[in-house]
Amino acid sequence: MKFDGTALYAALIHELKNNLGLLSMTLDSIPMQVEPQHDGTVNDARLLCQSVIDRLQQALLLYKANNQQLQPTIDAYSPHDLLHELVERAGALSRGRLNIDAGMAADVPAVWFFDRELIEMALLNAIQNSLAYARSIIRIEASMVDGCLSLSVRDDSDGYPEHILTSVATNTPYRATGTGLGLQFARMIVQTHENRGRLGELRLYNESGAVFSLLLP
Amino acid sequence: MSLPSAFIKNVPASASANESFIDYASLRALVVDDYPGMRNALRLTLSNFGVVKVQLAANAAEALFHVKNKDFDFILCDFNLGDGRDGQQLLEELRHGNLISLETVFMMVTAESYYEKVVATAELAPDDYMIKPFSAEILRSRLDNILLRKRAFREVYRHFMAQDLESALVACDEMMQNHPKYVVDALRFKGELLVTLGRFDEAEALYKQVIAMRAIPWARLGLARSLHLQKKEEPAEEELRDVLEHAPSMVAAYDLLADVCLAKKDGAAAQAALEKGVAISGKTVRRQQKLGEVAYGNGDLDVARTAYTNTLEKGRHSIFVTPADLGNLCRVQVEQGDLKAVADTLKKNKSSLQGSPEGKLVMAVSQSMMHNQAGNLQEAVKALDEAAGLRSEGTRCDPQMMLDLAGVCMANGREGEADGIVSEVARNAHDSESLLAKARKIYDDAGRSDAGAAVLASATADVRKLNNEGVVLAQKGDYKTAVEKLLTACGEAPYNPRIIMNAVWVILKYIDQVGMDENMINIARKHLAEAERQAPGHSRISGLRLHLKEVETRFGMNRT
Repeated sequence: MKFDGTALYAALIHELKNNLGLLSMTLDSIPMQVEPQHDGTVNDARLLCQSVIDRLQQALLLYKANNQQLQPTIDAYSPHDLLHELVERAGALSRGRLNIDAGMAADVPAVWFFDRELIEMALLNAIQNSLAYARSIIRIEASMVDGCLSLSVRDDSDGYPEHILTSVATNTPYRATGTGLGLQFARMIVQTHENRGRLGELRLYNESGAVFSLLLP
Repeated sequence: MSLPSAFIKNVPASASANESFIDYASLRALVVDDYPGMRNALRLTLSNFGVVKVQLAANAAEALFHVKNKDFDFILCDFNLGDGRDGQQLLEELRHGNLISLETVFMMVTAESYYEKVVATAELAPDDYMIKPFSAEILRSRLDNILLRKRAFREVYRHFMAQDLESALVACDEMMQNHPKYVVDALRFKGELLVTLGRFDEAEALYKQVIAMRAIPWARLGLARSLHLQKKEEPAEEELRDVLEHAPSMVAAYDLLADVCLAKKDGAAAQAALEKGVAISGKTVRRQQKLGEVAYGNGDLDVARTAYTNTLEKGRHSIFVTPADLGNLCRVQVEQGDLKAVADTLKKNKSSLQGSPEGKLVMAVSQSMMHNQAGNLQEAVKALDEAAGLRSEGTRCDPQMMLDLAGVCMANGREGEADGIVSEVARNAHDSESLLAKARKIYDDAGRSDAGAAVLASATADVRKLNNEGVVLAQKGDYKTAVEKLLTACGEAPYNPRIIMNAVWVILKYIDQVGMDENMINIARKHLAEAERQAPGHSRISGLRLHLKEVETRFGMNRT
């Protein structure tokens, strides 16, 4: 019997996404019981669920990139609103375990042009990383750098290991798992953002912790 | 952790607490999803924000039922609703039927970010999207933002709904001044207002202003549309081809490109554009209808047949599908000589056709064509008698179909009846080249070319003469006599959109000149409504509606 494998895969992925969405919402609705063992387990499950979602989205992204379909849908969005969304989500994921802070530089314009879904995906992935490594604080920031909108996630962890900083700085590929995998996707996403010949950039550095920055032209 | 001092501590609230407060407990929500698990999860999530008034619907039909019975502040709708209409089709019906107000938030939930590309530039885009899977916090933030945006636009919407478009424009300008966050949204709305007002050159300048900020697709499409409306087809086509080169999945660009090609009388290119659009998104009924029409005009019966078949299948529950679509399919099948298919089509759609006099007439005409082609003269005559009976009761159907009927009458020796039908069609479409050409062909095929010329000439002569005289009189400022001429013309050709619109125009000019005349303004209202029925979306209608509104306001006859 012959069957259409592609259609079947598509249908499966669709189901998978629906189920994951439900699982995530279900986990989010489990109330805290101020009982360390219970709350800790639920929190671990929530974070794990979010990282499965991240990986699934990355898999789809890769599929699209392979088919030359990774075209960003650029429209005007409010950096303020995006920051607010990320802080809310980070706060919910951390559930008071970490201090989530936000900062918006005074010169950030009221609107900027970018693909909200892609950029949010990359930043959520960075937040997810910081949730795993930060000691006490995560700070999400918007500012203007070199004429670009810079969206950053900072934490007070030990910072990125040297080999990751080098490979991102030199734009060279490396064998990646975990943190590195997400960074590769972030770079792919930000580089689809182009304005008047200028490409978006991923910048990583350590400054009292890890700093992850997306520069949007 | 050291923080640069230029950062303001915490994200500042852009407005005072009161202005940005959303009382979720008072909001009424509608959740549309075909998957019960998702419906319940969304209800639970919403209840965590304090939304208690949540109505659930499993499909578009249920959603329409609830919307017709109750007002909602926001609608959360999954794009994929299983069988039947999808979320985008539901949105189109809601907006077209004016079932939801501009203030109602419509948020589309989709599994694919691809969806956004497909419809983001469409005229009927949702207010925002949520891409699955999403978290409660992101949903909450997006709802906050969109509800606040609607609140900020309240004045603009109020003027728009009162059809006071000038004031709506001013309100848009104020938005840009006072709410920099909404500057692009305000520009987008203003662009649409300018197009509605027929101020295409200003719309062109506005879209260029947006593009100078960033060449976002909807602005480029807006630019192409305003160029096309100014008959600047070459630059419009250039813009669209370039948009499509970068974003080949942008269906709205294919629709517009087809219009531009038709304006350039390039039917083949128009068909090619529509075929690409249909390949990407074939569920939109009006795209299929247009493809059918264009392909039929090009003589490409296979493509026309597929498109009309799709129209009927995809549009089974759509308000945009009428008996005329069935007639169109039957006509193509008859011309292909596939009479078994005609019989199947009619059998399959029997119950829906018998639901209305127009449907019965379409059925009778299609049967007459089918039997006539098959040489079943007795059956053909029976169908013709049925059609004649319906017509004598005042039933009409679309002019193409009426001419089909005339053709069968002619072939069966019912020449007088044929002449009468052709004459009626011609009177009501005296300026439609394609219909008159089709009428001429019926006579040519019957070897009655001279008789046909005479029928068409006499049918259109009176109407044409009255119309021309009326227009000339109006141009000279004699609106009173112009009104008389055009109302006489309307009596002769009660469904002729050109004549009706001219009549409305001279009545309004007459009132401008001499003052209010209650009887006249009532006639104008009635005729404008008829023009909308005959030529929905015609470019002159919105201008006339505004003129009527302005006259009513001036004389204190506010009818909002």
